[in-house]
Amino acid sequence: MGAYLLKRLFFFLPTLILISVLAFFLSKTAPGDPVELYHRGAFGELGEGGAQAERIYTDTRAQLGLDKPVFYFAFTAKAYPDTLYRITRREHRQNLRQLIRQSGNWPAIQQYYRSTEQLFAACGQLPDTLAPNVVNQVQKILTGLPLRSDTTFINRQVYRLDTLLNNKPSLARTLGNADDDLIDAWQEVRQSSRPAALYTPALYWYGLDNQYHHWLKSMLHGDFGRSYLDGQPAAAKIGRALRWTLLINLLAIILAYGLSVPLGVYMAVHKDSRFDRVSTVALFMLYSLPSFWVGSLLLVIFTDPQLGLQFFSITRVNDAVNEGNLWQQVGATLRQIALPVFCLVYGSLAFIARQMRGGMIEVLQQDFIRTARAKGLSQRRVIWKHAFRNALFPLITLFASLFPAMLAGSVIIEYIFNIPGMGKLTVDSIRNQDWPVVYVLLLLSAVMTMAGILLADLLYSLADPRVSYQKKQSS
Amino acid sequence: MSTPSATYKNEAPRRQVWRRFREKPINRWSLRILYLLVFIALTADFFANEKPLYCQIEGETYWPVLRSYAVDLGLQPPRGDFERMNWLTREYEAVVRAPIPYSPTTIDRRNMRAIGPFERQNTPSRYFQHWLGTDELGKDVAAGLIHGTRTALLVGLVAMTVASLIGIFLGAVAGYFGDDRLQWPRRRFWLFGLGLIPWIFFGWIAPAPWFFGESLIGRVLWIIATLVLLLWVCRLFVPERANHRQTAWPLDFGVMRLIEVMNSIPALMLLLAIVATIEQSSLLLVMAIIGVIGWTSIARFVRAELLRIREQNYIEAARALGISEGRILLRHALPNGLRPVLITIAFGISGAILLEAFLSFLSIGLPADAVTWGTLLNKIKTDTDAWWLALFPGFAIFITVTIFNLIGEGLSEAMKV
Repeated sequence: MGAYLLKRLFFFLPTLILISVLAFFLSKTAPGDPVELYHRGAFGELGEGGAQAERIYTDTRAQLGLDKPVFYFAFTAKAYPDTLYRITRREHRQNLRQLIRQSGNWPAIQQYYRSTEQLFAACGQLPDTLAPNVVNQVQKILTGLPLRSDTTFINRQVYRLDTLLNNKPSLARTLGNADDDLIDAWQEVRQSSRPAALYTPALYWYGLDNQYHHWLKSMLHGDFGRSYLDGQPAAAKIGRALRWTLLINLLAIILAYGLSVPLGVYMAVHKDSRFDRVSTVALFMLYSLPSFWVGSLLLVIFTDPQLGLQFFSITRVNDAVNEGNLWQQVGATLRQIALPVFCLVYGSLAFIARQMRGGMIEVLQQDFIRTARAKGLSQRRVIWKHAFRNALFPLITLFASLFPAMLAGSVIIEYIFNIPGMGKLTVDSIRNQDWPVVYVLLLLSAVMTMAGILLADLLYSLADPRVSYQKKQSS
Repeated sequence: MSTPSATYKNEAPRRQVWRRFREKPINRWSLRILYLLVFIALTADFFANEKPLYCQIEGETYWPVLRSYAVDLGLQPPRGDFERMNWLTREYEAVVRAPIPYSPTTIDRRNMRAIGPFERQNTPSRYFQHWLGTDELGKDVAAGLIHGTRTALLVGLVAMTVASLIGIFLGAVAGYFGDDRLQWPRRRFWLFGLGLIPWIFFGWIAPAPWFFGESLIGRVLWIIATLVLLLWVCRLFVPERANHRQTAWPLDFGVMRLIEVMNSIPALMLLLAIVATIEQSSLLLVMAIIGVIGWTSIARFVRAELLRIREQNYIEAARALGISEGRILLRHALPNGLRPVLITIAFGISGAILLEAFLSFLSIGLPADAVTWGTLLNKIKTDTDAWWLALFPGFAIFITVTIFNLIGEGLSEAMKV
């Protein structure tokens, strides 16, 4: 048993690593510049342009560890340099990639990118009196250039820049040849493409000092990053949410099993009776009723003031949950979670009861049941002692698939009934682009699912002593 | 266990399943409702449309609905004045309207703020009644329902096509070859391992040839094409010889581990996490992602079936005749193992429809203008008094999901010997 457990845990390890890589790369491709998302919320605005904002940007980027290479290695085409991650702005980086895709000539593109930066910096150091209008326009063009990759657009803008500066010879003189550099560099990008470099593989090795490694290491140390939204540790946010989710899901599972097992057994024992036939149809209907529809209908019924059925607190979490004496708190919590738990229960109840009925009917046809009856054992003893235990196994394996399904189902239910659990947190975080929280939640739900599967395995072996999980010795 | 009567003795298994399936009235009714849904999905534009089916304007005769089909197919140039025209309120000399004279996107300014089916509606005549009410913006719920049918069935179709392609392939390979049947000379393994590096580069990283295009489908096809090329090259350079040392591919082990990994992430969470990263989302992409996530149950079914089939005598006979393994799998084993997949596909369709409804209910990852049952139902969150917004779209989802469940149930009963 212990050896089996170890083996299972050993298999979970690569799975976990795979999922962590998946979550990490998904979070990397998620829309929005992380630094800007970070500064949108509790960390103060970045502000528009200017050296100050630029410095804050760079600092935050370093603080978030985004100035490091993404992974241990990069396997790309030779056209892409190994130092592309050093470009500060995410949008610029993406755009440079696009430009490289088009021409393959990195040195020329780098020259072009640098000269836009230099010209921009030169514009910033001009005295205010020198043709502020034109300088303003030039700067505007220069901020737009690194965001675009279509050649016709860049052509037009570079040409416009040229005419603007040619009309102001004094300005052009002060800027030196920074503007000629830009035009030359762009001509170079257009004329000398190196498609071969796009088809030459290159492997860059970055070592351990990379984003993924640091992310994983801090996770193992219990630091799950901070929410972009309010700067709280993601772990604290999720911990609070987890309480609610576990509460309603565990309640739902206990209720579902507690109700469906006797029901299924009763239906199987009285097979083809009227009760059995009616409940079979009813259970099938229940099973097919989408929980979020039932949830929405309940929402309508119990909030409509005309019906006067406002027993439950639905629209928001009541503060009463944390106030008053114990009984008041329990009462407030129950009013909060009664409807969500109901929505979670009925579907799984139908599912489990149907399985229980099927399994029990199969067992009741076995010879050993007839033997037990022939021995003169009471009906009750035959059913619960002999048949039930054998019909139990499929139920336990069901648990492994039921648990993740419930977790997923509670996403919607929590969203409908405003339960501040993991599901609602997921939806809210995705809507607010709070990626650190989203991907930790993804990892956590995977871990919980795996734990559920493992638990089902363990229960299975407890219920059936014949299951040993040791490899059969071939004699 | 029913014993087939004498008249059916030589019946082909496929017909037998079909007959048994149709014996139960509930199955027949499920199929009828399915046909009806398909019919509504195909003809939605003629049922609910703000454009008239036929009209006369200034002495000219038009067929606006048919015309928009022609424009979509590129047979006729689009007309600007037609695009901008307010079909609903303008005057016609003669007109035949669709039974529901609203498109799902039509905004009826006279009936905004969610008017219920039994409330007083401000419509010019009975014909313009909103039979199932309107939503906050004055869009007709009935029109949304009718056009949502198309989306729902399409989700099932596309997602399960993708899932079946992946699931049948992986399941068949795992079940038929197991861990021991696909044997390669050891040198070929080495060659293949070396070849993986150029395959990853040219298949996944370098730009694909122009005729594969820039699209996702083109990329997937190119990756598959390069893999086939790699396998062919390996075969060419290390042919089968009797004296070579052989090693088997642990295909079953690999596929089962992959299924375990997939199953250890709740599908909805994975779907949300993936869809959230897509900046320009489309309904079709979401459908494909649902398929990519949902192939595991199909693969399991096919694998179990082929594990059984591969031990059968006729497979043994085919091998004895010297038919190649690939051919046996494709021509002899797989056709016999595919029937039970129909059951999983039926359940899978209902699962896919539910998943898409979840997503659009949460309004995550779908384009803003998509009309689905989930988006209709979603509006109940902000407007809890409008019961018609909860009842009708939810009922449509319920019916569709239920008939697919019933069909799956009926199929599995009919296939039991």
